[in-house]
Amino acid sequence: MSTLTSMRNARGSGRSGQLIGTLSVLAVVLLAWQFLPTALGTPSYVVPVLSDVLNALFDPEAFPRYLSNAGATMTEVLLGLGIGVALGLALAVTLAQLPRVYGVVFPYIVAIESIPKVAVAPLFVIWFGFGLPSKVVVVVLLAFFPVLVNTIHGLRSVDKDQIDLFRVNGASPLQLRMRLMIPAALPQIFSGLELAVANSMIGAIVAEFVGAQEGLGVLILQAQGRMETAAVFALLIILSALGIALNVLVRTVRKVVVNWEGR
Amino acid sequence: MTISPIVELEQLGKVYPTRTGDVTALTDVDLRIDDGEFVAIVGPSGCGKTTLLKILAGLEQHTSGVGTLGGRELGSGAADVGMVFQKATLLPWQDVRSNVLLPVSLQRRPSKADRAAADELLEMVGLTDFASKRPHELSGGMQQRAAICRALVHEPSMLLMDEPFGALDAMTRDLLNVEVNRIWRETHKTVVLITHSIPEAVFLAQRVIVMSPRPGRIVDQVEVPFGPERTLELLGTPEFGALCSTIRRHFEKEAAA
Repeated sequence: MSTLTSMRNARGSGRSGQLIGTLSVLAVVLLAWQFLPTALGTPSYVVPVLSDVLNALFDPEAFPRYLSNAGATMTEVLLGLGIGVALGLALAVTLAQLPRVYGVVFPYIVAIESIPKVAVAPLFVIWFGFGLPSKVVVVVLLAFFPVLVNTIHGLRSVDKDQIDLFRVNGASPLQLRMRLMIPAALPQIFSGLELAVANSMIGAIVAEFVGAQEGLGVLILQAQGRMETAAVFALLIILSALGIALNVLVRTVRKVVVNWEGR
Repeated sequence: MTISPIVELEQLGKVYPTRTGDVTALTDVDLRIDDGEFVAIVGPSGCGKTTLLKILAGLEQHTSGVGTLGGRELGSGAADVGMVFQKATLLPWQDVRSNVLLPVSLQRRPSKADRAAADELLEMVGLTDFASKRPHELSGGMQQRAAICRALVHEPSMLLMDEPFGALDAMTRDLLNVEVNRIWRETHKTVVLITHSIPEAVFLAQRVIVMSPRPGRIVDQVEVPFGPERTLELLGTPEFGALCSTIRRHFEKEAAA
């Protein structure tokens, strides 16, 4: 027991050591950002120093505008993500029940999976206009495929003996799905979800670049047009923070739900 | 008093259609297993022993002949059996007790009596302290013990074991074999064990069914003359060794042919 405890301590201090390392890298990067541009004589419209970026970010006039536009972008992301994930899960579970249909559809899934889907964003703006719907449709498309592909893969790789175990014990098709297939596929479903989250942010921003009235993508383009590089960086910081927050949220839910993983 | 057969197979066969023609997995299987008997089936891979077990379990349909299990025609719905696989196949998201209760919970909400039965089985295999643990916290041997409890919890008329200890190390395997012998004596269940280890078959069974591949069929049935209680000392006796050699000769003939 004492060996176990000391091993746990060793692992614990290793983990906090890692954290110190990660934070040191961040500190070095931030310091370099503040002092290197001036030292190298880089003009501020190319790389503004950190303090200028922070001033732009927390500018009392601009900040409320940033927030409301971030709200618009997140509305697109969350709506699209919700719809895309729901559709991906539903179709995956359906296809896993119908191996023949799956065989027919599979080549199309692979084909669509390998096209850069953001390229169709201009088309969606033509079809659905400059408002919310065109952005949501792009996000749905980008969130849907990773969830579909990963969920199908998870459902298809359930252990054959475990399926036999359920069949020997007279499990109904619904019990087989709800009590074995879906829980067993959860690790892969969450992997798909993590990809979907990252894709959704990309989808929303690209769709906003193509044509929108509001959103962080619009603000970035406006700041670029005025050559306000510090504002562009400030908006990128907001965008990154939102992306990281969503990713951390999904990973945390994964740790709680898939609590048998990674031990 | 006559012992009633729990399994009766007559001319049972199984043919798989494949693209390159039909493959005969099993042919002309005549087998009678008495209630409470411990039967082991040995044979090299491809001899159809797993197919035979799956037919008994109702997981596969035979294509010729007739068979009954517990008086019911084979192939008429889920069989009244408990099954142990080579892997423990415990569900990682449930604790050990819930895993053991799976056969019950698929039929109805487990009652207090069901939970008591599960705890009793876990006590029998020495896993009482692990009832609330998750499977990944158990060793391979402990997981397989839990899987045996799961196969017994719904009081099936028969226990089917498909190379249950094939993935374990030799020492754990010996200990578990002693335990299976004890469980069999305590529960009086009919047991059918599939194995490719001849000593394991002789150590555990009252009768060893020898199977041969291409096509899968029964080539011999060997009565094991030792009493119901088996201990590890048996493994070192000349009688034990002689019986193993008798059975092994079937496969040497096969290899030479």
